[in-house]
Amino acid sequence: QEKTISGTVTDQLGLALPGVNILVEGTTNGTQTDFDGNYTIQGSEGQTLLFSYIGQMSVTKVIGASSTIDVVMQEDAQALEEVVVTALGISRDKKSLGYATQEVQGEDLNTVKSGNFVNALSGKASGIQIRKNNNLGGSTNVVIRGNASLTGSNQALFVIDGVPVNNTNTNSKYQGEASGNYYDYGNTASDINPDDIESVNVLKGAAASALYGSRAANGVIMITTKKGKDAQGIGVTVNSGITIGSIDKSTFAKYQNQYGAGYGAYYGPGEDDFYNMEDVTGDGVADLTVPFTEDASYGGRFDPNLMIYQWDALDPDSPNYRTATPWVNAKNGPITFFETPVTTTNSVSFARSYDDDGSFRMNYTQFDQSGLMPNSTIKKHNFSMSGSFALTDRLTVTGYANYINTKALGRNSTGYSDNIMSNFKQWWQTNVDLKDQRDIYFDTKRNVTWNPASTDAGSAPIYWDNPYWTRYENYQNDSRNRFIGNVSLDYKFTDWLNFTARAATDTYSEIQEERRANGSVPTSFGIPDSAGNRGNVDSGYGRRNLEVTETNYDFMFNFQKDLSDQFNLKGILGTNIRRSEFQSIYSATSGGLSVPKLYSLQNSSGPLALPVENDERVGIDGIYASASLGYNSILFLDATIRRDHSSTLPEDNSTFYYPSIATSFVFTNLLNADFITFGKLRANYAEVGNSAPFDFLYDTYNVNIPPGAPSTSVDNEKKNPNLKPEKTESFELGLEMKFLRNRLSFDLAYYQTNSVDQIFGVPVSRATGYEKKILNAGEIENKGVELSISGNPVRTDNFSWTAMVNWTKNKNEVVSLEDGIQTLQLGDFQGGVTLNAEVGQPYGVIYGTDYTYLNGERVVDPADGQYVKTSTSDQNIGDTNPDWLMGISNKFNYKEFSLSFLIDIQQGGSIFSLDQYYGLATGLYAETAFINDLGNPVRNTLADGGGFINEGVNPDGATNTSRIRADRFGAFGYRRGLPDKAFVYDASYVKLREVALTYNLPSKLLANTFLTNASLSVIGSNLWIIDKDLPHADPESGLSAGNLQGYSVGSLPTTRDFGVNLKLQF
Amino acid sequence: CSSDLESLNENIKDPLAVPGESLFTGAQKSLVDQVVDLNVNNNNTKLWAQYLQETTYTDESNYDQVTRTIPAQHWSIMYKDVLKDLDEAKIVIEATTYSTPELEALKPNKLIIIEILNVYTYANLVETFGDVPYTEALDADNLLPKYDDGETIYKDLVGRLTAAINALDESTGSFGSADRIYEGDVAMWKKFAASLKLRMGILLSDVDEAFAKTTVESAVATGVFTSNDDNAAYEYLGSDPNTNPVYDNLVLSGRNDFVAAATIIDAMNTLDDPRLPLYFMPTGDGIYEGGGIGEPSSYSSYSHVSAQLEEATFPGIILDYSEVSFLLAEARARSFEVGGTAKEHYDAGITASILDWGGTAEEATDYLAQPNVDYDLSILASTATTPWKEVIGTQKWIALYNRGLEAWTSIRLLDYPLMATPADAVSGFLNRYTYPIIEQSLNGANYSSAASAIGGDEAETQLFWDLN
Repeated sequence: QEKTISGTVTDQLGLALPGVNILVEGTTNGTQTDFDGNYTIQGSEGQTLLFSYIGQMSVTKVIGASSTIDVVMQEDAQALEEVVVTALGISRDKKSLGYATQEVQGEDLNTVKSGNFVNALSGKASGIQIRKNNNLGGSTNVVIRGNASLTGSNQALFVIDGVPVNNTNTNSKYQGEASGNYYDYGNTASDINPDDIESVNVLKGAAASALYGSRAANGVIMITTKKGKDAQGIGVTVNSGITIGSIDKSTFAKYQNQYGAGYGAYYGPGEDDFYNMEDVTGDGVADLTVPFTEDASYGGRFDPNLMIYQWDALDPDSPNYRTATPWVNAKNGPITFFETPVTTTNSVSFARSYDDDGSFRMNYTQFDQSGLMPNSTIKKHNFSMSGSFALTDRLTVTGYANYINTKALGRNSTGYSDNIMSNFKQWWQTNVDLKDQRDIYFDTKRNVTWNPASTDAGSAPIYWDNPYWTRYENYQNDSRNRFIGNVSLDYKFTDWLNFTARAATDTYSEIQEERRANGSVPTSFGIPDSAGNRGNVDSGYGRRNLEVTETNYDFMFNFQKDLSDQFNLKGILGTNIRRSEFQSIYSATSGGLSVPKLYSLQNSSGPLALPVENDERVGIDGIYASASLGYNSILFLDATIRRDHSSTLPEDNSTFYYPSIATSFVFTNLLNADFITFGKLRANYAEVGNSAPFDFLYDTYNVNIPPGAPSTSVDNEKKNPNLKPEKTESFELGLEMKFLRNRLSFDLAYYQTNSVDQIFGVPVSRATGYEKKILNAGEIENKGVELSISGNPVRTDNFSWTAMVNWTKNKNEVVSLEDGIQTLQLGDFQGGVTLNAEVGQPYGVIYGTDYTYLNGERVVDPADGQYVKTSTSDQNIGDTNPDWLMGISNKFNYKEFSLSFLIDIQQGGSIFSLDQYYGLATGLYAETAFINDLGNPVRNTLADGGGFINEGVNPDGATNTSRIRADRFGAFGYRRGLPDKAFVYDASYVKLREVALTYNLPSKLLANTFLTNASLSVIGSNLWIIDKDLPHADPESGLSAGNLQGYSVGSLPTTRDFGVNLKLQF
Repeated sequence: CSSDLESLNENIKDPLAVPGESLFTGAQKSLVDQVVDLNVNNNNTKLWAQYLQETTYTDESNYDQVTRTIPAQHWSIMYKDVLKDLDEAKIVIEATTYSTPELEALKPNKLIIIEILNVYTYANLVETFGDVPYTEALDADNLLPKYDDGETIYKDLVGRLTAAINALDESTGSFGSADRIYEGDVAMWKKFAASLKLRMGILLSDVDEAFAKTTVESAVATGVFTSNDDNAAYEYLGSDPNTNPVYDNLVLSGRNDFVAAATIIDAMNTLDDPRLPLYFMPTGDGIYEGGGIGEPSSYSSYSHVSAQLEEATFPGIILDYSEVSFLLAEARARSFEVGGTAKEHYDAGITASILDWGGTAEEATDYLAQPNVDYDLSILASTATTPWKEVIGTQKWIALYNRGLEAWTSIRLLDYPLMATPADAVSGFLNRYTYPIIEQSLNGANYSSAASAIGGDEAETQLFWDLN
């Protein structure tokens, strides 16, 4: 007999509990308590009611005669025990940790997929800055708690299941400095398959990572892979997704549509016209021609009635051969060049658990991506296997094996020259129709360019190739075969002592091939000399082979013992032996290719240049110990010490020690305040030593390509045989609190890190005969605050809302460099700007020319109306560090639907745009063609009422009234008085980073199928740049990962990616 | 744990030790490359001497030496790639024990030839910057080298050159094939050193005439260049990166960045100079026309450099007989005792230039007979305060075509010919390279003293030897 049962649910303090789930066991009949803790439910005598609530122990009540059942729930201490994975893969109770870690669940990283799982971390944890870029398969900059090393790597260490993996980026240093015709080969953490990730834990401070030794000074991204032990059903999971991108037009050039090719009115016989007079038709009579050689749009005003010979009149295979066509803006502008990027990901995994005996999991994932640029793809195959087996009661063996094959074709070239994006954003003719360029390339398979050097048929290009030729002929490709694996044995001596031995390797071989077809624009290609210069060739082939291996051996004793009722002691004693090898050889043809389009080294038309060989071996032998003492689950004290012996330091200084101490105080129980569920104070201090990079001690010479006799040179960098280790000292305070039974929680951290005695090449006066000298010098300080707040504002039976905010503020200061040196130049870029570390300034300030000022106003030269810029380019014109970062994520669950979105914010930071510097000068953008204050086109001559007035004062202090000419190129861009400062923008942004809507098929529907779970997600990423300052580009789109940031040149537009993902489990 | 862990750090791919001769070869090429170069990032003196002009991107033609940090590049190449390698070559050669007495006997000459190139390079630094680091330069343990007084350095260099000339032993050889200019011929190096000394003496003639006179006369007594066979011409190869840098700039680059400058074309057109077709290509209309100074010029409308200049193996000249002849003419005009007359040397300089560029003796004779070329008639026609400066200066400038640095120095010393003011000039005529901006941040205190010592770190500041 069914009846209505009602009652109130309270906690142990007698407070009403809203949102408690109540289920009649064995049925789908359930409800929730209301705001006052009251509920009503239908049930029959003898049935059991199950009361459950997060953080409380579940309660069961058998329905008896009474219609009222009141329940008092008891707090579940166990449920609050968060276990997290810490250094070396050791699991710890989170409450006992005296340092900051933050966990991100795998599903939050792999629902919305990109080529690199690291990108998905953006905004999901505090203290970490992710700077992705738009290069196909491009590298991602991952910095935790600010840049601490002047010239070394500041990238976080990636660790899989306790073992470090390689995340190097093999990009040329010149790629990072925006030199043309280099590629961004990405960083190797992108090999990690997001479908294998169970969770990611971010270890932020030195205390958290101290056991990893020197290399973890930049923080650690700890990845825990999925295991078979949680397998359900048959254990098969199939995941299939497709993503399609569409260009966010706010990140691409917006062109003016009124003027075409040219730099001004200085063509033709009188040198006063916008057009040339040349015989194109072969009849001996000069014809009106477009100045094809000019890669700017500061030419004649479009006029559909003006018939003129354009590039397509020159080639016999062109439909308009020897035909004049109307002078109009191109119908198909550069945006039509891009293709729709499509990414598909398919994976299948098999998992099985054998109760106490072990488990295994196998996964295969196929990733297939086509890029925005024509002829660009990345394909990956990822096989992984993990298993754990108890060989005896005491001995367990665990293993992990991952094979990844990655192939990329047609990565976009980056930087200033020979980059189609620089072409489109800086040096373009608005009259050129991309469809015509496309047709003629596919019709002829020749480099018939819009930018020929002369009117002769078959003329070589002068500055730019036909962009389709570039994509289909001058493409690169690369492939990597990588194995990551480990085997570990765990032996349990007693219930308080075990021993682990682990051998792990991460090894890959990679080939990178670059090519240029005969007849391309001559550009720098091949092997750079010691100054970074490369010869100009119209064709060539280069290849780089890489062999990279890191092997780690760990032996570790782990013990854990309750010393008394109150005291608990944990300890680790271990050793780590690491060997890294990096071998590469790069060779390239010289002087072009003998046989056209045959891409091999033996096809070099000149003597083969000297190849560049590297063979770098680094070893560290480490011994470490840690002890953790816990008192009554209230107070914890951790101490670690590690001793490293490094191969890269001089023998006298090669062994060094560094300690850390951390404490955690769980004060909740002492407070006795109902609304506080959990409270913990933590504090730590740590020192981390760091050794030198390979080969920093002894001078070697450079060998030059013999100019007729053997030739050598002294290296630009003076080495130092007396180096000592670098040291980072860090201090951190944290407060972690949870309220109202975890409905609201926050984690607040303050830290300060000082990195001293840095090992770096100190730039020196070239009068010393060197560019740099390796020294131990300098100090960088990072201070910051991190705050993560999460809440659960609504939680009812059918609907819940979870929100999380991560906020990060890091203040960075270069405290000192070498005595007498105020500035360290980090990078030198086109446009005369440099990136620097300056004493007293944040790391990474931009130097260039600035306006000159009089009483705070910009000075304008009355003679020509141009700004008067500084005569030197050593002015501080921007700081690349953001003021703060914030990620706001929200997740709504309604019945079987869940909707989540993430807003990602960067506030502040400067970025220099070379696209603006040149593109405004060459008259590409809409901002360079407008009606001026006199009501005339600004590009009219001054006599014709054109020009405009630069705001400012003349040197005598009077308000400027002189007009600047805008009838020739430059007035808006890099020439005519505008300083570099004019092209520095605020890099702030607000982005709707991710949206995901997931529908889980209700279990009722699945009941009679073989499926245990099925879900369909519709996802979107980078859907909307809500706010930004940088025109025509995404402020996030840098060149590459690394220390050189804050410079934008020829970056690909950002795409809004829409996807569908289907997941089935059975 | 391995006990010899440190051995992993050994670089097994790059040499820890090299022969000193190979360092000399490297330094010599770096020096000649920089002197000859036309790359806008390295050397813009051919634009400033108004031999050539840029087509579209006319910043450097308009005296912009800041945007591309050209002084820094010149400074860096001269100190780091030339002087440092010469210094290292000297150290290594001194420390080397050669396998035979014959080889051992070459050592002193090798060290002296290194010394001569050192002097050439430092002289250039003083001529371009003024005060520069000298006594404290090239020392990795002194990161803040002070700047020495330009005149003091220059006179010290003359002394070093004299010592070098006296020490050369012509009875034996030196570098052999490691020397790409004279194949180690010691007699040639002696002539080179004397000719360099002549040039350095002439440069000081306004500021210290007595010192200049002694220097010039002793140089000539030693024996300077006497024909084009003596020219210091570096032998380039046919393939990159060992070609003449101009070939790289003009041919391999595939770019059309340079046209002839109106200043020289107009001057040569007026003189109907037989070197016009040797220096330049005519326009499509078959005439010689140069682009306006500092103005954008359409590549197809103007003359370009001649085909021989674009050859990969076109020799790199760092000192030649024609220049020496003009220097002797100047010496005579200043009444220094060097033999001959100003006219004879002037005629020899013009003739040597025409012949060296591929002209004929007849062309030279005809040219010299022109009233506007004839030395005496030109002197009479000149309205300049010191007529010989205009007459010699103009012809020397024409002969120094393709030798931008030397031409720039000559224009500054003689004040002739007059250079046009570029259309969008960012400064007055360039009297020097400004100091590298990075010197301010890396060697600030020494930089500041030097800047004030020379009268301000400005492009227009006249150097100690440039009095007018």
